[in-house]
Amino acid sequence: MRRAILTLLGALLIAQPAFGEIARIKRSMGNATVQRDGASLTLQPGFLLLTGDTLVTGKDGQISLTFADDSRFSIGPDSHISVDRFEYNARSQTGEFVTRINHGSLAIVSGQIARSKQDAMKVRTPTSLLGVRGTRFIVEVPQ
Amino acid sequence: MSPLRLVPVLIVSVLSACATGPSLILLTSEEGKQGSVAVLEHDGIRSDDVIDELNSWTNLSGRPHSSSIDPAKLDTRLRRLLEDLPPAPVYRTLYFLEGTTRITPDSVPNLEFLKSEIARRPGAEVLVTGYTDTVGSSDDNDELSQRRAEEILKGLVEQGIAISMMSAVGRGERELLDKTRDNVSSALNRRVVVTVR
Repeated sequence: MRRAILTLLGALLIAQPAFGEIARIKRSMGNATVQRDGASLTLQPGFLLLTGDTLVTGKDGQISLTFADDSRFSIGPDSHISVDRFEYNARSQTGEFVTRINHGSLAIVSGQIARSKQDAMKVRTPTSLLGVRGTRFIVEVPQ
Repeated sequence: MSPLRLVPVLIVSVLSACATGPSLILLTSEEGKQGSVAVLEHDGIRSDDVIDELNSWTNLSGRPHSSSIDPAKLDTRLRRLLEDLPPAPVYRTLYFLEGTTRITPDSVPNLEFLKSEIARRPGAEVLVTGYTDTVGSSDDNDELSQRRAEEILKGLVEQGIAISMMSAVGRGERELLDKTRDNVSSALNRRVVVTVR
């Protein structure tokens, strides 16, 4: 029975990425969690991020992750960062991406979504809304 | 107040803005290319400022002003943040023997390279994208490209790579490598691109 379920899962995975998956955690250190529906989830490499998740790090925390459109994030200590919107069509390589930095530090290398249409990738801070038009930058929001 | 006495006051306010407000550091891309970030809103006001000065620091509270920085002199904390970015995804193209879903002998070393990249990246994700040439209808080619991608994925599973880290998509005759007219057979276009993130 278990084997049959695994085979079925495998068949589904061949057709498309895991349902709702938007990014994978590559590395996490120290105090680092994902908050989802009121629960605080522990991270390990390969952890699948979903839209609406909030990434939280403590004093010694760090998280690295890569999104389905090849965007890459590095999150520093004492951060609270939410992915409010991530829609990506792998076939047309277009989409919409909105990240909100409540506080903390975030290094970004933008990917396909930022390339697909002007300001399709946005970053919100408590004082501003940014339209990402390319490549590598750091946003810091002191607590 | 004389203009001279204003200067120290201004310096103090700029420094305190650096220390307390949200800010942006724009760097060159990893390939050394130009990029930019638009400030669409600040403090609830719509804006059309575009930050395009590479290697610059910009305040994100109040009207944005950029000043140059030396990326070699970033503090340890920020250097660490950049070093912790995941490695850039790698791509390799595999070509197909005509009329088969078998790859050409030339493509075998690329497949070996991909396997080693998957092994050295914790939490890796493997995306297999199939393409076709322009022979046949675009709907049929969407399906054929999907089958080619799934064939490569099956091969990787047989070599011990977990299926849970992989997915396949077919893009048919979109993005031709060899920009042919419709209904032209092309070995260059019959391909699968494997991305390892």
